[in-house]
Amino acid sequence: MITGRDLTRVYGMGAAEVRALDGVSFEIQKGEFVGVTGPSGSGKSTLLHMLGLLDRPTSGTITIDGQDVNPLDERARTQFRLRRLGYVFQDYALVPELTAWENVYLPSMARGMQARECSLVCTDILGLVGLGDRVNHLPSQMSGGEQQRVAIARALVNRPAILLADEPCANLDSRNSEIILDLFQRLNRDLRQTIVMVSHEEWHTRYFHRTIFMKDGKIETERRAVDKSPGSGDLLSSP
Amino acid sequence: MLEDSKVAFFFAKRSIARGNKGTLSLTIVILGMVFVNLVFLPSIITGVAVLFNQQSIDYSYGNLVIEPRKNEIYISNVDELQRKIGQIPGVNGVSPRYITGATVVYKGNAVTPQLYAINPDDDQAVLKIGSRVSSGEYLGEADTDKVVLGFRLAGNEDETQDVIPSLGGVEVGNVVDITFNNGVTRKYRVKGIITSDSYDADSAVFITRKEYESVFGLDNKANQVLVRTRETGGEEAMRITLMSFGVQEKIWTWQEKSANFLDQIIGSFNIINFIGTVVSLVIAVVVIFIVIFINTVYRRKQIGILKAIGIDRSIIIRSYLFQALFIFALGTLIGAAFLILILQILALNPIVFPGGAVAPVVDAPLIARSTLSLFVVSLIAGYIPAWMTTREDILSAIRG
Repeated sequence: MITGRDLTRVYGMGAAEVRALDGVSFEIQKGEFVGVTGPSGSGKSTLLHMLGLLDRPTSGTITIDGQDVNPLDERARTQFRLRRLGYVFQDYALVPELTAWENVYLPSMARGMQARECSLVCTDILGLVGLGDRVNHLPSQMSGGEQQRVAIARALVNRPAILLADEPCANLDSRNSEIILDLFQRLNRDLRQTIVMVSHEEWHTRYFHRTIFMKDGKIETERRAVDKSPGSGDLLSSP
Repeated sequence: MLEDSKVAFFFAKRSIARGNKGTLSLTIVILGMVFVNLVFLPSIITGVAVLFNQQSIDYSYGNLVIEPRKNEIYISNVDELQRKIGQIPGVNGVSPRYITGATVVYKGNAVTPQLYAINPDDDQAVLKIGSRVSSGEYLGEADTDKVVLGFRLAGNEDETQDVIPSLGGVEVGNVVDITFNNGVTRKYRVKGIITSDSYDADSAVFITRKEYESVFGLDNKANQVLVRTRETGGEEAMRITLMSFGVQEKIWTWQEKSANFLDQIIGSFNIINFIGTVVSLVIAVVVIFIVIFINTVYRRKQIGILKAIGIDRSIIIRSYLFQALFIFALGTLIGAAFLILILQILALNPIVFPGGAVAPVVDAPLIARSTLSLFVVSLIAGYIPAWMTTREDILSAIRG
């Protein structure tokens, strides 16, 4: 369902030219939980930005559900992000003046849902991430793990085709990281949610169906986990 | 469009409710003061205009002034003209008078004021000078050897207190010498002193028309005929009526007679007002701009995140516009409350101009104009910083 063909992303010009992506091609199937890993500067975040329509490739094409997203103008890309993609950031990126419930409510409201429907969906989704009793708390009143779960709820509220997570556990301790990864695993298994997650923690790869290893802007190798396939429900337990 | 506005309002409402209350309150108060400044000065200027207009009608011209035809010094057969005009519906009073210069002397002090020769009863049907006698009495129809002086002309023994050349402290009962411009000099006993707040009336000397005609050997003539109408504002229509009744002399409205004087005053005030208004609006623009700009720059990363999760740039801009409009709305209300307080204080302690007490005129067009101009600058000052910050590339904004 997601196809990248010969993606390059070049920053700067001449001697200062940096090839953050250098001819990357890949396919991600619906319901897959894919990890992208590699050392700093390998291009994994750049790739995620391309998939999240936050940046445009210098060359190459990205097709999501059969639609070439490169020709879309800014307004159409914004709408695409709102309706088809969910994005989880490393530092939670919640609006500090909004409660957990309101942070989740905002994108659903922007999508044009009726207020009643928004309320039901927000309450459901916050319950799903285990924050049913924290809905009226401001981000400043929640732990890092709880904030990240609110961010995940926000990313999921519009039922996105793909959930993109950019090192979502980077600011969390191992216990909270497990909670987040377990949650991703559950969402992937129960909702068949396609997830693409950037990480550079080795132990996170246990959760992925497939891990793409990147280096110097290229895909170095791919590794598929044994006995895992999208929707199989036969996943490794967390350590 | 409406859905987008709902989202923007939702976001703006919570940003206001949970944002920095101190900065918000200070901004609102500043906007309130700007609103007061936008309304107050023009209201005083209008008040001054109203005051001087009323002064012109009550103490100088009545509503209409009839003057001799071109190349003629006097209006002839004035009694007939007065009778004819007096019968016109809507006319309350008709007062023929002579105006001339004369030299008044008292204890060696010689002054050359304006001299008005009037029929006292007719004069009081048109002007209010007769009701502003501060000492003694006003002229009577039969008075031939008596004068009434304006208090500025009468003056003070202490010359430093005089604002115009005066007679050095004439009081009721004193005798002054008046030399007319035909060379005749006569003695007159001062019957009354006028204190009217009208610069014109307070600087003049008044005798009866009967006496003037005896000095100049005139009969049934006048330099001016003043007409008082029942209502002010219908002067143009009354001019046409007078013409239709056969008045062939020049007919002026009080606005035309006082135009230069008033235009100069109002023109000068309007320059001050214009500068004050521009400065106020610039202050409003700068304050709102800075508040919104700091707000958006401080939330640069957050704005990038909002765009990344699919919140359209126009929604973010609109949310800041709502915040600017909230500041405008509350600022205007607070300004209006403060203005009412100022007006109450001024009602108890009026501002006194040389022409009298000035009542600020706060009317609907002034409020609407001030509110609208503040509304527009608030929108501009809210829009530009939000537009500037939100046009930044998403990744640059997120990376900070």
